[in-house]
Amino acid sequence: MENNLQAIVVQAETVLKSISSRSDWELAKADILGPNGSLTQIAKGIVKLSKEDRPAFGQSLNSAKRSIETLFQSALTELEERADLASLGDYIDPTLPACPSHAGGTHPLTNVRRQVVSIFRKIGFTVAEATEVETEWFCFDALNTPEDHPARDTQDTLFFPEESTWTSVSRKSDEKYILRTHTSSVQIRTLLKEPPPLRIIAPGRCFRRDTVDATHSANFHQTEGLYVDENVTISDLKGVLDYFLRELFGEKLETRLRPSFFPFTEPSFEVDLKAPNLGKLSDRWIEIMGCGMVDPEVLKLVGLSPENWSGFAFGMGLERISMILHGIDDIRYFYQNDQRFLTQFSNAS
Amino acid sequence: MKVSLNWIQEYVDLPDDHGELIDVLPMLGLEVEEQEKESEPCLNNVVVGEVISKNPHPEADRLSVCSVKVGTGEPANIVCGATNFLPGDHVAVALPGANLPGGYKIKKSKLRGVQSEGMMCSAKELELGSDDQGLLILENTTQVGMPIENVFATDKILELEITANRGDCLSYLGVAREIGARYQKSIRIPTVKTQGLPSKKVPSDWILKDIRIDSNACPFYTLWSVSGVRVASSPDWLKHKLESIGLRSINNVVDVTNFILHETGQPLHAFDAKKIRGSSLLVREARENEFITTLDATKRKLDPGMLVIADSENPLVVAGIMGSVDAEVGEQTTDLVLESAWFHPGSIRATARKLGLHTESSQRFSRNVDPMGVEYAARRAIDLILEIAGGIINPTFFSHGAPPRSARTIQIEQSYVERVCGFSLPSDEISEAWKRLGFKVDGSNPWEVLVPSFRSEVERPIDLVEEFLRVHGTGNLKNSSFSFPATNRENDASYDFCQRAIDNLVGQGYQESCNYSLRSAAETSCWYSNCSLQNLSLDNPLNADHTHARPSLLPGLVDTLAHNQKNLNTLTRVFESGRVFRHGPRGNVELISLAFAAFADSNIREWRKKEKLDFFELKNHLHRLLHATGLNEPTGTWETLFGFNPWQDGYSSKLGDVNRNKLELHLGILNLSLTKQKEAKGPVYAAEILIDPVLLNRKRKNRCFVPFSSFPPAIKDIALVVDQSEPAESVRSAVEKIALGIGQGKFKVDPVGVFDVFSGKGMKEGRKSIACSMRFRASDRTLSEKELNQAFESVIEKIEVETAYELRK
Repeated sequence: MENNLQAIVVQAETVLKSISSRSDWELAKADILGPNGSLTQIAKGIVKLSKEDRPAFGQSLNSAKRSIETLFQSALTELEERADLASLGDYIDPTLPACPSHAGGTHPLTNVRRQVVSIFRKIGFTVAEATEVETEWFCFDALNTPEDHPARDTQDTLFFPEESTWTSVSRKSDEKYILRTHTSSVQIRTLLKEPPPLRIIAPGRCFRRDTVDATHSANFHQTEGLYVDENVTISDLKGVLDYFLRELFGEKLETRLRPSFFPFTEPSFEVDLKAPNLGKLSDRWIEIMGCGMVDPEVLKLVGLSPENWSGFAFGMGLERISMILHGIDDIRYFYQNDQRFLTQFSNAS
Repeated sequence: MKVSLNWIQEYVDLPDDHGELIDVLPMLGLEVEEQEKESEPCLNNVVVGEVISKNPHPEADRLSVCSVKVGTGEPANIVCGATNFLPGDHVAVALPGANLPGGYKIKKSKLRGVQSEGMMCSAKELELGSDDQGLLILENTTQVGMPIENVFATDKILELEITANRGDCLSYLGVAREIGARYQKSIRIPTVKTQGLPSKKVPSDWILKDIRIDSNACPFYTLWSVSGVRVASSPDWLKHKLESIGLRSINNVVDVTNFILHETGQPLHAFDAKKIRGSSLLVREARENEFITTLDATKRKLDPGMLVIADSENPLVVAGIMGSVDAEVGEQTTDLVLESAWFHPGSIRATARKLGLHTESSQRFSRNVDPMGVEYAARRAIDLILEIAGGIINPTFFSHGAPPRSARTIQIEQSYVERVCGFSLPSDEISEAWKRLGFKVDGSNPWEVLVPSFRSEVERPIDLVEEFLRVHGTGNLKNSSFSFPATNRENDASYDFCQRAIDNLVGQGYQESCNYSLRSAAETSCWYSNCSLQNLSLDNPLNADHTHARPSLLPGLVDTLAHNQKNLNTLTRVFESGRVFRHGPRGNVELISLAFAAFADSNIREWRKKEKLDFFELKNHLHRLLHATGLNEPTGTWETLFGFNPWQDGYSSKLGDVNRNKLELHLGILNLSLTKQKEAKGPVYAAEILIDPVLLNRKRKNRCFVPFSSFPPAIKDIALVVDQSEPAESVRSAVEKIALGIGQGKFKVDPVGVFDVFSGKGMKEGRKSIACSMRFRASDRTLSEKELNQAFESVIEKIEVETAYELRK
């Protein structure tokens, strides 16, 4: 009996070495452990044994059965592992390119807008938006640029026909609808809606009636900034802009405020910067943005008393900043959308 | 404005290094656009000489023998053929060794037996002008012996960009005043001899009989009369000045008026008195259907509201802008009437704009000339006319009205200046800045600052702060810092929404692009309805490509795909976010839009075969985007589009309506012929989201947790045979509705899903099978087989009774 049990264990070992599929394995298992299997047959012989011999046989039988079951179990695991591996196919060649390969990426104007917004976010400026369709009052009159103001000449404005109506753009009275020439109109819409203290940054698309060339575009992007509070000073303005420009262009930077004119700020300045890391534009004064203290007239026009409130505003062209940062020499690249242009900057943060 | 440094030196001392001004002027607010350098002719050994004596040549009638001082040494003896000079004149002398531009070498030589030690030159010989009719006569202020290059070639011309508020700086005196303020130099205002007495009526001895001012746009008008002038070409100094800033010399009288315009900023107009019909001048508004042929030889139609100066018959001048050929000063002119006036800036500006006629004169009047300088400019001009062209001034001049603006006093406290600037200074330094600009400062705290009439824009204390900073500089702000309290404002929702959308689409492999918002009528009409065509058109488009505000981002995206395909780039998936414009039921609306587009088959060769993009993959892209940005699909079902530009019939779909739901989704293949027109090869899949920004401002409700069953679901599948045209969603929702009804009160039913659609072999023509999977769960137990089978039987029964669907056996 003992020998028979041993022989069955050996038989199991031998059989399992030669199986290559789950069905082989099932068959082999039935041959030994099944109702008519060899081990089952031997087990049935227990009834023929004397009472004294039964415990010893029982033990041997159990031990053989456990061994056989273990053999089968590990054979099965091995079998499954092999099948799993086979299902993976050939080894890979990791040098082959990704497939399909759609990298995706942001437009350089999105990158520069996010850079600017994120710098100002850190010092408490939040984004305000308004419509691209505007009215003359919000774009000019409220910004202290009435119809007969010479500054209005330089704003080559695109108008909508007199009879057009825009339900999503509120008007002051019955002035004409236009496409906004600057994001400064967001100052007005926000000041009329939200009480100061107010600190906003307003990126957005603007339009001028310009012939497209290397430096002009039928539409372009600006970012406006506005801070209105009690006792805002020119020194605050300079401090904020210096902080911003250093964050954007690096610490080794000189800036200066150059007197200029905008109808909606007084005093008004152009901000020039000089930096060592700007390629062809390195180490010379370049104009980067306009700024100034909010003109008291503008505050009055939005119902704020210049006695109690003061503020500063600034504005910059996003294409221009991107062009300076990356040494791009033609504004039309931004609207041509050639992959060879876009991907140069699409993963730049 | 072009500024010749040689010329401006007459009014103010310049720094030794003239080039310094290129850096200094911008810091005063006068931007230097570009600097032009005159080409420097090589004129070695040509110097300024002063003619001491002029005697006839003993042997030749046409020649003279002159003694000319050319420096500190002995005067040179020079034989000359010209006649246009007198002893005392300063002339250009080419000394032996000089090499003139034409290749002509100067040597000592004998001319008809008389020794000549050089040559006196004409402008043409030196290539300093075109005049070859006589010697180039220099101004008497030129220094004898000075190389001629220093007189001419060193002149630098600065092109200044004057901001709209600084009309006063559209003049040499104005710019000189700024330079003087910066360098603390006083300026030299030319003195005038002409006086004249004003008369409100036309004097009886006057050249005109009637002068009337019939407009509010002309509050101050003066006319001066000079008779017996000789109109001829201008002297060299005057010609040279005008030519140096790119103007053409016309004749001595016209040149003087141009010169004064640049010197003082006051435009003048000279009329030939004899050409004024009816001896009357009328300042009035143009009449209906009146025409004028302006000096640029253009016939222009005038509108009422435009100010003109007319004689008894016709308009002679578009006031403050340009004259006509009718009363032009020409060679025959002997009697002049000279106008110096102040016109309302807005009126001149509107007329110039309407006529599209922007002149040196209109530019100045529309920026508010100094009314107190009107008479000075006339006097200065008359001085020069009398000097150059001769004639006699009538001692009485006609004067209507009064200067509408004079000097004004502004009160300002030191604390105000400091409060705006954010730094403190000794009070002297502040008031000093104003004084340097020619403002009078009296008192202290508050100061009383008297601002002269030529500064039209300095009216308020804040304007004085600006003037202080301009002159003082902003050096005190070098190390400014800031500190202010936090604000609790958040970004506008529309901005953050778009940033999330951008990030999601980039993550899905789409490249962001940026297209023009202005589109052509041709594109707009093909891609969208005629309704958009009318309503979204601009009133004054610049060109035919940019006539309409875009109703959609899609045409731009197809342009982007086509451009990259044409250039054999591998970019086949693009997106854009931005504003689009639509015509709604109550008018136009501006919407936020997100759109993405991709070629169905990218045609890019890859090392292994890939699946084509299809509608349902794209639908997944859209779902991911909506999910990531927190938008819920509008209620309703996706409808297949037919006849809905720009989408392809039967292969595109729409859900929601932006006017009703504030959200509208489009998805599918773009109309094949439209994309083909844009030269995109192959079908383009696209998705478009239109959002009314109002939707994004809605506050979101806080979500409440819903408990779920911990028992396993029982799953039952059902296949139904339906008409080919039946939408799967109708079948699915019918099954779901029935299942929910059966389960009511007993167990829950998960959302029913479609897991198979089949047509073809074994299926009748025009029919298809849709298989749905139902999952039932109770919250308190595992459902028994019996319960489940009962429920399933009931579902089948109900489907057979309530729907036209056939159970697939």
